[in-house]
Amino acid sequence: MSTEKKYTFKDFKSDQEVRWCPGCGDIAIMNSVQKAMAQLDHNKEDYAVVSGIGCSSRFPYYMNTYGFHGIHGRAGVLASGVKAANPKLSVWQITGDGDALAIGGNHFIHEIRRNIDVNLLLFNNQIYGLTKGQYSPTSLLGQVTKTSPYGTIEEPFHPGELVLGARGTFFARSIDNKVKETTNILIEADGHRGTSVVEILQNCVIFNHGFYNHIVGKDVRDDNQIWLEHGKPMIFGKEKNKGLVIDGLKLKVVTIGEDGITEADILVHDEKEENPTLHMALINMQHPNFPTAFGVIRAVKKDTYDSLLEKQIEEVKAKSNILCMDDLLNSGETWTIE
Amino acid sequence: MEEVRLMKGNEAIAEAAIRAGVDGYFGYPITPQSEIIEYLMLEQPHLRTGMQVLQAESEVAAINMVYGAAGCGKKAMTSSSSPGISLKLEGISYIAASELPCLIVNVQRGGPGLGTIQPSQADYFQAVKGGGHGDYRLLVLAPASVQEMADFVDLSFELAFKYRTPVMILSDGVIGQMMEKVVLPPQKERLSNEELIKKYGSWATTGKPASRERNIITSLELKSERQEAHNHKLQAKYKEISENEVRFEKLNCDDAEYLIVAYGSSARISQKAMQIGREKGIKVGVLRPITLWPFPSDEINKLADQVKGILTVEMSAGQMVEDVRLAVNGKIKVEYFGRYGGMIPSPNEVIEALEQKLIGG
Repeated sequence: MSTEKKYTFKDFKSDQEVRWCPGCGDIAIMNSVQKAMAQLDHNKEDYAVVSGIGCSSRFPYYMNTYGFHGIHGRAGVLASGVKAANPKLSVWQITGDGDALAIGGNHFIHEIRRNIDVNLLLFNNQIYGLTKGQYSPTSLLGQVTKTSPYGTIEEPFHPGELVLGARGTFFARSIDNKVKETTNILIEADGHRGTSVVEILQNCVIFNHGFYNHIVGKDVRDDNQIWLEHGKPMIFGKEKNKGLVIDGLKLKVVTIGEDGITEADILVHDEKEENPTLHMALINMQHPNFPTAFGVIRAVKKDTYDSLLEKQIEEVKAKSNILCMDDLLNSGETWTIE
Repeated sequence: MEEVRLMKGNEAIAEAAIRAGVDGYFGYPITPQSEIIEYLMLEQPHLRTGMQVLQAESEVAAINMVYGAAGCGKKAMTSSSSPGISLKLEGISYIAASELPCLIVNVQRGGPGLGTIQPSQADYFQAVKGGGHGDYRLLVLAPASVQEMADFVDLSFELAFKYRTPVMILSDGVIGQMMEKVVLPPQKERLSNEELIKKYGSWATTGKPASRERNIITSLELKSERQEAHNHKLQAKYKEISENEVRFEKLNCDDAEYLIVAYGSSARISQKAMQIGREKGIKVGVLRPITLWPFPSDEINKLADQVKGILTVEMSAGQMVEDVRLAVNGKIKVEYFGRYGGMIPSPNEVIEALEQKLIGG
């Protein structure tokens, strides 16, 4: 493919009126996706944007690409079908915490386990927005919603934990309003072969406004976010002097310059490490004891379902005694009529 | 204690469920019926009666929770709207096959597929002809007012337990969302396990003391003879229901020369159309099926000897009209009028259709 810049992000905007609420995090995420697509090498006609049902699933209407607005919870299986039927497409699955983790929870883990080559964007706003404010599988324990007026009594899923539990090969996390960072993560996700899961914390201005303020608030964001980069030390904080170390079997936040800690003591991020232990610990870091981890947390190489299928066919062919029509006709039980 | 309130149809169902002594509600949000679970969650029925309310992870999960709870001999229910009901059909077929009582509420919206969130009656076939697999029937009640939304909850459970069969309330987005005065029934006590066993016998999973026979809830029978025998048993039950449970309402039918057959919100619209027709001098009556299965075929057949023509009015592309034609069996002309895909017919459209298709034509 040519390396010339073929598109601008505007080429990916459709003529449809965007009907998300003003200020919805989905709008910023869409900008990131369009910017990423403009930078990637694919031809525009090779993009397929597939969604299930929910606010986020309105995405395909606003993209000037082929689209598929599907069935609630089934975005992952629809995307799998699209990719299996037409492997040359760059398939972008748009899903939410309800679509992917409640009704679609089963499909979600199996899609990841198969490692189908799809970019899976999980918009996590910790609420059902389209049905107007009921709790979702990522709503926090005790969260007050329309169907939990006295607080939920259910433990939430951590999407990243599920991805690793399903033996996922790629997991990244971003925030809706971090357009530059999200764009770069999406470009990396597209380059990864396999199911690339990108969880994007997304503000629902109507039903769960500011749920992530403890992470994104101006005063706290530097101390409560850590942006991981492969090969770089895990350093964060306003003063860039906080870091993560291993203490026994757990992660620990330390301050460089205190208790004899130097930058050399700080963990270096390795997204390519196959052992998921540290990735899991990073994914599960939670406020207030830890910063929330963002960036590409895991990106390990593994065969995709599509490539293994192709490989298997070639192997079976190579070992087969049947190489031509005569071989086929003379195989199995044959006899001669005299 | 009876109580009069102004309520949405969906809220009336929820309140009536608490008052009917329902043991468990299992659901998943979907427009236009999310108020049912929202009302129940807010009302904290576990404090009022001990009733449990659970937001499941999907409609499939919810109907199977109902299957489990019904297997315990408990009053279990779920509610959804059209796409969600499609998801429940597997469970409904199994519940019917296992002969368990439960209530399924469908507040219909326009389809097919994701369709629209606006009202519709296009799930008639799905409700009365099976929907799920196999030779089973759902007893289907069609409320035409917020009052009936409330009244039919207890009635549904009475019928469900009497015949040990799933019952559906087939409503629509109009009745679910509109507000009307409703007289709420007095509170019924929930049954204890002991009362359950005494009342319903040994099928309920309530724990097995030495005095009770072992029972397995299943819908599987690999020996065809036995599977046929099980089907015979189901069919005998459906025959009994057909003979005893037909319900309908007749309005101005005594002197009618033309008849409108309509259920649910279409019946309300048709009632207004009837008034307009009568003012114009057209002698028109309305027959409103209350049970869609069993269908009031005999009554419609009788009326076919009296009237010149029948118009069915439904918010579908013409589904119930097939049952009306079967009932009439060619005696007179049966025409259909409807709007669909979320559109609602106006009374004037209905009477114009009647004039055009039956009188002028």
